[in-house]
Amino acid sequence: MWKTIFRRLLLMIPQIIILSILIFIIADFMPGDPFTGMIDPNIDPAQLEAQREAFGLNDPLIVRYFRWAGNALQGDFGRSFNFQQPVTAVIGGRMGNTIRLSLLSTIFTYGIGLPLGIMAGRYNETVFDKGVLVYNFVSFAIPVFVLALLMVWIFGYNLNWFPSRGSVSISANTTWEIWWSRLYHLLLPSITTAILGTTSIIQFLRSEIIDAKVSDYVKTARSKGVPIQKVYTKHIFRNASLPIASGFGFTIVALFTGSIFIEQIFNFRGMGFLFLQSINTRDYSVIFVLVMFYGLMGLIGTLLSDLILMAVDPRIRID
Amino acid sequence: MSNKKKYSMLASTAAVAFILAACGNGDTADTDDNGVDENDATEVDEDEDADDNGESADGPQPLEFETRVENEGEAIDGGTMSIGYVSDSPFTGIFSWELYTGNPDATVMQYTMGSLVDVDENFQYTDTGAATIEVDRDTNIVTITLQDDILWHDGEQLTAGDIAFTHEIIGHPDYPGVRYSADMQRIIGMEAYKAGEADSIEGITIVDDLTLEIEYESVGVQMLQAGGGVWAYAAPRHYLEDIPVAELESAPEIRENPIGFGPFKVDNIVPGESVSYSRFEDYFRGTPNIERLELETVPTSTAVAAMQNHQFDLFLSMPTDQFENFENIPGYSILGRQENAYTYIGFKLGEWVTEGDGIDQPQNVPDPDAKMANVNLRQAMAYAIDNDAVGSRFYQGLRSRATSPIIPNFADFYNDELEGYPYNPERAQELLDEAGYEDTNGDGFRETPEGEELVINFASMAGGDVAEPIAEYYMQSWRNIGLNVQLLDGRLHEFNSFYDRVEADDPAIDIYQAAWRTGSDPTPDGLYSRYAPFNYTRWATEENDAFMDDMLSEEGFDVEWRAEVFRDWQEYFMEELPIIPTMFRNEVFPVNNRVGAYDITYGENPDTDGAGAHTWYLTDDNRATE
Repeated sequence: MWKTIFRRLLLMIPQIIILSILIFIIADFMPGDPFTGMIDPNIDPAQLEAQREAFGLNDPLIVRYFRWAGNALQGDFGRSFNFQQPVTAVIGGRMGNTIRLSLLSTIFTYGIGLPLGIMAGRYNETVFDKGVLVYNFVSFAIPVFVLALLMVWIFGYNLNWFPSRGSVSISANTTWEIWWSRLYHLLLPSITTAILGTTSIIQFLRSEIIDAKVSDYVKTARSKGVPIQKVYTKHIFRNASLPIASGFGFTIVALFTGSIFIEQIFNFRGMGFLFLQSINTRDYSVIFVLVMFYGLMGLIGTLLSDLILMAVDPRIRID
Repeated sequence: MSNKKKYSMLASTAAVAFILAACGNGDTADTDDNGVDENDATEVDEDEDADDNGESADGPQPLEFETRVENEGEAIDGGTMSIGYVSDSPFTGIFSWELYTGNPDATVMQYTMGSLVDVDENFQYTDTGAATIEVDRDTNIVTITLQDDILWHDGEQLTAGDIAFTHEIIGHPDYPGVRYSADMQRIIGMEAYKAGEADSIEGITIVDDLTLEIEYESVGVQMLQAGGGVWAYAAPRHYLEDIPVAELESAPEIRENPIGFGPFKVDNIVPGESVSYSRFEDYFRGTPNIERLELETVPTSTAVAAMQNHQFDLFLSMPTDQFENFENIPGYSILGRQENAYTYIGFKLGEWVTEGDGIDQPQNVPDPDAKMANVNLRQAMAYAIDNDAVGSRFYQGLRSRATSPIIPNFADFYNDELEGYPYNPERAQELLDEAGYEDTNGDGFRETPEGEELVINFASMAGGDVAEPIAEYYMQSWRNIGLNVQLLDGRLHEFNSFYDRVEADDPAIDIYQAAWRTGSDPTPDGLYSRYAPFNYTRWATEENDAFMDDMLSEEGFDVEWRAEVFRDWQEYFMEELPIIPTMFRNEVFPVNNRVGAYDITYGENPDTDGAGAHTWYLTDDNRATE
């Protein structure tokens, strides 16, 4: 197994290199650069040209790529044009927000999805089950930006229950106040994410449980006299959660990547927001690092999922 | 306020009306979100326009706004005023005039960093500010004299050394920013300092604590203008001098705990989101009335909702394309003023040449055979479009037909006698007939005088909901006078690729629609001189060169004479018409009714109630809701 993990990790190196080359080529096709139409009046055109020169934007693609790659290997990912700071500092500043948001979203997602899925499977064909199914179809069909805007409009502006933008209130001073304010700002976006994120959890759990109910091992357990409650918690749930476990690696990875839509609509300064903003302003150095990061996270997510699957299901072996 | 020199492109030429109900036959959007019936634009004009001159004209007229509001009520003690800054690009948080680059940063800085000089309604320096600026034509020396009671937020006195320091930052060999301009380079000894050959800047002399002399290779009349060449800022030397210049923009002294000499001190910054300020008791104009300011960035998509919820006392950069959704929200008065910007349609007349025969420096070289080189054709295109209607119907009266490339805000320089090109399709047809543009093959479109097919390619930017209808309207109008105008590549173009192609003189572009922000110096050399790279039409004539020289010449110190040159130039320019100035634009500021006074008049003395931030006061503990 360790050999496999090691091999998979090794394989990531060429994958990452190919990814980086692709991003460089595609980014080169984007019209404009960070200095096109810089909305600032105090700049002399000669100064813009000097900046382009200083950032090496006038060099050929190959030169730029190798310079970037060389620096990146030494941990220097360049400076953000937009923020006038090292890219690592810019991204580092956003990651905390994103992790907090994703963590809470994940908790809510499983908090809603697991019980609903289990109950719907156990009591299938009841009114409750049908209600869950309807919820499932609706949440699957609604695009995230529609629900997010609705939530902001209803709970943020009309009812004034939650703050409608930002990650922390400017008037929070003490540590306790700051953490409370952060949590308060997280609630609405994370509940929104959770409402839309439960579809597959509910669907998989429900159908697995329905299948399992009539399977031989359940019948055996029941005929041995195991109480029904115990059959569900000990036997069925464990088997039914396999498909969910397989996605768990990605869930962990998603903690770091954030959601572009949610962050944009809730004006929440996380990685997704940064990504969109960087694309719009052609902040190449940030875009490169973010895409590489997302790519790497995707690869790690796959690996993690395989490992988790192996841990929960002893029948599965990767060699 | 930042001194705005030079120009910046506006991202969208047609940022814009949300709902096109005002277009068409004058029917209006039926309700806004409050369910209150809206007036049509004409009635709004009469309701809100105090100085309506009663002039009658067809259709809705441009709106006019108050630039000052006063609300009744006793001032409360202190209080917190919240400002909603509507912007989709968050501030970077660089609190330094030397290093910031974007307008969002200038916005969050303005309450705290302090400005050295005041300006009048023409954006010229006055002597009421923290410092005065004198330009000596004979010695080429600019003298900056400070008042003696100005303190930085940490209690240290602001001295001439601090003004020298800001120059030393920009001139430093490691300086990473973009403010090392041609004007900076004209300071004696600056280039040697930049090259690292000198330890100090030869031309900058600290005469005493309050007086600084800067010697230039040459001085010009534009130096009396805010942003016209003198770098009128100060940086706290005692606070920043130990930080290497290359690391300044990442330093906590700039990003987290900046100090200035403005009316409010920075308390707390949530990067990209909000800033809170508390009043600076020792502010040189007097202790501010308001105890605390909070500024928060609001995305444009939710600005109106934030206003309906009365979340802020003041909105900055309120999106004018949503005007009809917020004009009647109770609890707010809406102030407005003309922006230092205009929209225009440019004609491509040549190209930017960097080297070649007889080219001693990069310049614009017009091509006499260019498709748009015929002045009759250009004038006809201007007469063919009804910009009065575009302003009132597409922009709900928030924009009006432009008559000159100098905006009316520069009151002394704007030629108010020019009529521009009001809608006159008959005149347009005549002009084309005269020039020999006639339909010779019966396809309904005019051919060139040489009898060749004439197809004009029009480049326009995407952005805002009316960008497309306006482009379509223009093309339709041109078709009505027999000109075949096609949208470049059949579509609107994204901002970056649009400017990439316009700048590179893409031969596929014949005309294009764009906008300029003009800054605070009316001198148009940066946009229309032979040597200006931003002169995207590539228009150049000897007469124009002469006007440009006059505008920047010594005689210009005679302001009357200079203003006359400006007026003559505008007349000449509007006759030649390398661009059609299409729209002057308004910006609007919703102010909550609990704010005692608020004044956005250009050039108003900051000590007037409502003008400077230190004079603001509140009349109630809670925001007014009606």
